[in-house]
Amino acid sequence: MVTQLQAPPVSSPAGSASALPAGPRPRRRVTRRTWPFIIPSIVLICVFFTVPFLLNLPFAFSSWTGYSSDIALVGLSNFELLASRGILWTSTAVTVVYAVICMLVQNVVSLSLAFALRDNTWGNTFFRSLFFLPVLISPLAGGYIWRAILDPEGPLNAAIGVVVPGFSFAWLGDPVWALFSVAFVDAWKWCGIATLVYIAGINSVPRELLEAAEIDGAPPWTRFWKVTFPLLAPAFTFNVVTTLIGALTAYDVVASMTQGGPGDSTSTLNFAVVQQFGYSFFGVASSLNLFVTLLVIVVAIPLVSWLRRREISA
Amino acid sequence: MSSALARRTRITGGIRYILLALFAVPWVLVPLWLLVVNSFKTERAAADLTLALPEEWRLLENYAAVFADGNYLTGLRNSLLVAIPTIAAVLILGAMAAWAYARSRSMTLQGLYYLSALSILLPPAVIPTIFVLTTLGIDGSLAGYALMMIGTKMGLFVFLATGFVKGIPMEIEESAAIDGASRVRTFFQILLPLLRPVMFVGAVLLIIAVWNDLFFAQLLLRGPDNATLPVALFSFASASMNIIRWNEVFAHVVLSSLPLVIVYIIAQRQVLAGLTEGGVKG
Repeated sequence: MVTQLQAPPVSSPAGSASALPAGPRPRRRVTRRTWPFIIPSIVLICVFFTVPFLLNLPFAFSSWTGYSSDIALVGLSNFELLASRGILWTSTAVTVVYAVICMLVQNVVSLSLAFALRDNTWGNTFFRSLFFLPVLISPLAGGYIWRAILDPEGPLNAAIGVVVPGFSFAWLGDPVWALFSVAFVDAWKWCGIATLVYIAGINSVPRELLEAAEIDGAPPWTRFWKVTFPLLAPAFTFNVVTTLIGALTAYDVVASMTQGGPGDSTSTLNFAVVQQFGYSFFGVASSLNLFVTLLVIVVAIPLVSWLRRREISA
Repeated sequence: MSSALARRTRITGGIRYILLALFAVPWVLVPLWLLVVNSFKTERAAADLTLALPEEWRLLENYAAVFADGNYLTGLRNSLLVAIPTIAAVLILGAMAAWAYARSRSMTLQGLYYLSALSILLPPAVIPTIFVLTTLGIDGSLAGYALMMIGTKMGLFVFLATGFVKGIPMEIEESAAIDGASRVRTFFQILLPLLRPVMFVGAVLLIIAVWNDLFFAQLLLRGPDNATLPVALFSFASASMNIIRWNEVFAHVVLSSLPLVIVYIIAQRQVLAGLTEGGVKG
């Protein structure tokens, strides 16, 4: 997840509307005194997010190069071009695999760290700060660091070489390992935040519930699955969704580690967007951007609603 | 906590710290050590990418190269010029809107609230943004980039802050109104101080996202004079085709990350506490 960092939501947009305090409250109309507080933010969101978002549909079917103001609609030809070059499906597949690996690695690591660091002790505070450090450096910088670690001459091969003499492997030169490595670095970079969200989730589980389960003779594993895990659902939803959306829009780590290679094996959709933009194919870049949006809608939105339903039943 | 549970926690405590330390070595310490130590070496020595201390120190030369060829000071200035107004605008304007949304049940405002919240899930469309910025005559500039950042990050903060305002008792504002305070005064003198925790969390999340953004910066900013730090770093590292001068690139990474790391070291406790406690209750 590169740019869409988010904090743990307490209530869903849908949930918060119905979760208003039930006490008697006068039904208020929007008055002239209220509008000045709303208008600045709405104007900024509409002009710089909503309008471009809606315009992306016509742009995806246009041949805009950015140089001239006449923008001709060219039908499906951008998509035909992308499909014939193999860019569209390769990038989509790469992006989906990337997002799944990144989501899995990040959530497994940060959930484990959160369980190890949940108590507010002095030592835990130290380790929380330590594991938060990668969040601060840019994904770009993280990419350069890991590119160096994974270099055939780098520290990873040197460390393995101690056990297996003469070991040498070009991690970023192999299509499968390159994709895994890039997704791993993206997960590595954001783990610190996900850990804090999980710690908050774990600490919001009432102690009494865990003690009651222990008195009833539930072994630790059962206590985890039957008590902690269901109550962790909001943090879980939040982390899975943010990681997934972030990874679906991945760019920086790819740019610094592999440049999309070897071949097209790490060329995510957003990497392809920047590439086409670089050739001044603004229309084609827009088509790819539309694909990112569709992917998020197809993958993330059903996932959000499914995870949310689980929260309610838990 | 029962005493059996407490004793078990104490015993496993030592082993837990050893395991955490063992995990922290490859996860955090080796990457950071590699970064810093190689930024002190000669180009030749850094090409080996070892964890050893430099035999020949090139600290001043490498870091001077970042200032001379890496467009560092311009990048730093531009990053500050984007980050400070963006964060200020999102926090103040977002808090204003959140207050109105949280206290109103009008259908119109509900609709506008969902419109704002939509930008949290959906990725921004960057090419039409260029078109909008061109129409406004601010394409390629820092102003255009900052406005786009404000517009796309605002929704998240509005969403967080609206949830937070709902937890603040309305009686506080009502008594201020009875005392004759205007809406504007109530907002700035009563509400804004109460919103401090959520504004802090918002500021932390925003600065991490804005300071490190490369994707939108690369598409929306034109020319080296408008480059933010990530853009400057990327062009510095890409300058020599496929052979990276690791010593200088790492020096640039260190210098680009330094502002955020310094701020974090100063405010570390509040950042971690804010994100674990304030953020979730937010």
